Amino acid sequence: MILQDYRIDLQRCSRCSLCKWLPLSQIKSWRFANACPSMVWGNFHAYSAGGRMIAALALLDGRIDYTDKLVEILYQCQMDGACDVSCKVNRDLDPLEVMLELRAKCVEEGQVLPAHMVMIESLKSDDNTLGEPKAERGKWAEGLDVKDITKEKADVLYFAGCRYSFDQDLRKIARDALSLLMKAGVDVGISGKEEACCGGRAFEIGYRGELTKYAEHNMETWKAAGVRTVVTPCSDCYGTFKFHYSRLGQEMNVEVLHITEYLDRLIKEGSLKPTKKVPMQVTYHDPCHLGRLSEPYIPWEGIERKVLGQVIVKDPPKEYRRGTSGIYEPPRDVLRSIPGLELVEMERIKEYAWCCGAGGGVKEAYPEFALSTADERIEEAMATGAEALVTSCSWCERNFRDALERSGAKIKLYDVVELLIEAL
Amino acid sequence: MALRKNVYRILEDIVGQQNISDEPVILDTYAFQWLAETISGTKFCSRPEAVLLPCNVEEVQAIIKACNRYGIRYKAFSTGWGPWNTVGGEGVIQLDLRRMNSIVEIDEKNMYAVVEPYVIGSQLQVEAMKKGLNCHMVGAGANCSILASATSMAGYGLTGIFMGYSNSNVLAVEWVLPDGEILRLGSLGSGDGWFCGDGPGPSLRGIMRGMIGALGGLGVFTKCGVKLYPWYGPPTTPMEGIHPLNGMPIPENYQAHSLTFPSWEALSDAVYRIGEAEIGYVMGRALPPGLIPVISISSAADYTQMLQMVTMDEFKYAIQIILGANSARELEYQKRAVEDILSETGGKIIQMMEEPSVKNILFRHLIKSEGISRVFQLAGTFATSLGAGTSWDTAVATGKIGEQLKRKYIERGAIADDGGDLAWGGTYQQGRFGHLEEIIMYDFQDADSLKGADEYVEESAQAAIDKSLGQPISIVRGMAEQFGPSSCDYHIWMKKIKKAFDPNTTSDPSFYIEPEA
Repeated sequence: MILQDYRIDLQRCSRCSLCKWLPLSQIKSWRFANACPSMVWGNFHAYSAGGRMIAALALLDGRIDYTDKLVEILYQCQMDGACDVSCKVNRDLDPLEVMLELRAKCVEEGQVLPAHMVMIESLKSDDNTLGEPKAERGKWAEGLDVKDITKEKADVLYFAGCRYSFDQDLRKIARDALSLLMKAGVDVGISGKEEACCGGRAFEIGYRGELTKYAEHNMETWKAAGVRTVVTPCSDCYGTFKFHYSRLGQEMNVEVLHITEYLDRLIKEGSLKPTKKVPMQVTYHDPCHLGRLSEPYIPWEGIERKVLGQVIVKDPPKEYRRGTSGIYEPPRDVLRSIPGLELVEMERIKEYAWCCGAGGGVKEAYPEFALSTADERIEEAMATGAEALVTSCSWCERNFRDALERSGAKIKLYDVVELLIEAL
Repeated sequence: MALRKNVYRILEDIVGQQNISDEPVILDTYAFQWLAETISGTKFCSRPEAVLLPCNVEEVQAIIKACNRYGIRYKAFSTGWGPWNTVGGEGVIQLDLRRMNSIVEIDEKNMYAVVEPYVIGSQLQVEAMKKGLNCHMVGAGANCSILASATSMAGYGLTGIFMGYSNSNVLAVEWVLPDGEILRLGSLGSGDGWFCGDGPGPSLRGIMRGMIGALGGLGVFTKCGVKLYPWYGPPTTPMEGIHPLNGMPIPENYQAHSLTFPSWEALSDAVYRIGEAEIGYVMGRALPPGLIPVISISSAADYTQMLQMVTMDEFKYAIQIILGANSARELEYQKRAVEDILSETGGKIIQMMEEPSVKNILFRHLIKSEGISRVFQLAGTFATSLGAGTSWDTAVATGKIGEQLKRKYIERGAIADDGGDLAWGGTYQQGRFGHLEEIIMYDFQDADSLKGADEYVEESAQAAIDKSLGQPISIVRGMAEQFGPSSCDYHIWMKKIKKAFDPNTTSDPSFYIEPEA
């Protein structure tokens, strides 16, 4: 679909502002009632999903033209999808899809951010958005006795993702996760320096062709390697495989799992046995791409027709993604399996989780906004009284680390994998 | 007419560069509104000249003084839903009060809260519930500003039977008058806090808001006290089930039922008796027949299917009621009172609605005031009509008339065939007042449907005058002039008030009234 296809929906926004809030019955306090980081950051209505739908309509109607402000508004958003969940409580609208289309239109029409152009240049030259040399991609796994699936067969491909591959602070998590699979006897391999970006971030910032290119490349690689399962520790990659690859309409032919799903499975099968106590109270942050954004794209082609005079129904009926089928329990079950560890919940969890702030090209283009969003989540985590904030995504981890370093907030930060390692 | 650069800079100096904008994309998101097409023929009303985000009363006052000095009109809103929030034409700036979002105080002992404009119903409710209290919310939903409902707007809420009406819930108020003077109403005016709207200190409740509210046409309200009421449930209210059809488990001191009666007359009697018995926490036609399916659907496609499954006749003369009590004994009393009233009026409990999962969803809708925006979901938009604050008998008459008026529009296919009866509302203050407004759902993108909806709203407004049903809840420009002559010429008084309080007509009068010439 293109933006024009949503024109009718754009007009149907009622400006109710529900996209700014958690679904109303899910609000638990005045303090943590907001759903939309962008709105909290920008304050003008234009920064909400509803505001962007209006902006899209105004743009299509020729009421407004591109300005620096318009582009800033469109890109000061993590595309975290919380608005989409809240909107769909009572409406048959797709604000997240509209915002994705709006960014694609921007790129098509040359309205791009310098910071995003740098990402795309890096992607084109080195298959990652981080400006790192491709040749160093496999370094994170140096010294591990693991199969190289470009040379030998393995049942499972471990897909580290760009952030874990290149971020030296986080490489250990990627190694630890892989070690856990190997320890459990999983027939696992990696692509090393031949691994390429998932393409998800490029898609989110409007570069659609990059997603197609990397999706085709990755799926061909997996097919050629004959892997049955792809496991990734990166929630961004996971969300991309599940949500964005599925919109391309190609059969994946592999099972895609997040590392927490696989570890949960291994623990429940008895292949991994957490026995050491980790006496700690922790709270878990649901990464958007592992949660509400990991539901597969649901294609729909049809027409609207009227019944009962003016009731508008989609024919065939359209299914909506509402975030309910995200990966919420496996990471929690892994944490629950750790002796001595107590999990306490924040107010905004699962499909209603507050974003870490890193997504949608925000960390690269608007780092202050990214950190401000992370600060909010850290404050929410600290309000639980937990000693540690736990997550399962490299981008969340990076952004939280940066925010904690800046603020000095007194809370520890872990990946689920790190705590499991301590318990084994 | 853009703001002069020096004026923009003066306003910028007040709120800071980040909190003022005249960017077209920002302005258009304030011009776009629900029902805008009924004003402008498009989804956009007039653009404001600039949008400002003040953060406190001092900034609001400084803006208003600047507006008076430089001849600029202003229009403030809180959560800003509905065309009455838009500016009335050129030369008007918009004040978005979003940054004024604090719950200043919850006084548990004296059962009131003090809020700023951008506190929404849900926020105040969850904080109040932690202290065993609850707040009244208008039917428009818990996403609406508590302050705006209390100081500036009309709107029935289904807790009305227990918690009254917005204009009776407002206590002391901090009000920046149209000329920039700050007026503190009620007990606040004598330095005695927020506990009373009518003294010691000036009481101007009638001038401030009357029945309908000044809709942003009489200055800016920056804080107000609102009454709180007992909440007999737990301090937190976790939901169950799968989003978005979550249910709210019914606490032990509450019950929820749907009651049906053999006729409008029996329903009317029963509602009066419920009021006389002083029972009920929530009561009203929350789900008139055509809306029954919406509590169990997640998209419009499910609506027609569900409509076929529901026995509509059962809901024809139905109300929903939540009983809430401080003790099991009191709850038992209320339950028996309902049984007696059913027995005396030929009513009964609708068994289909007794299914626990359905009841829990209903309970969530009624307590959390979350579901009404579903009326947008079915045909694209909705409008409402009739619905004065009146006697319950007149409200019932209104419902009947509304249904009759709608029939021809349904028959010609202009509005959704909801069975004809979407008379929504109930009573407030234990039945002393009644309210039923007739909702229509239509497709504003369909010229015939839009035309039909406009005609219906116009015809129903005329019927309200002809049949003495009172001033409708639907808000259109020029309403006071239309209804004033049949209602003690109140519009003349409003014009005098406008002139006295706003000598320079800087507070956008478009949805309130132009001053006396």
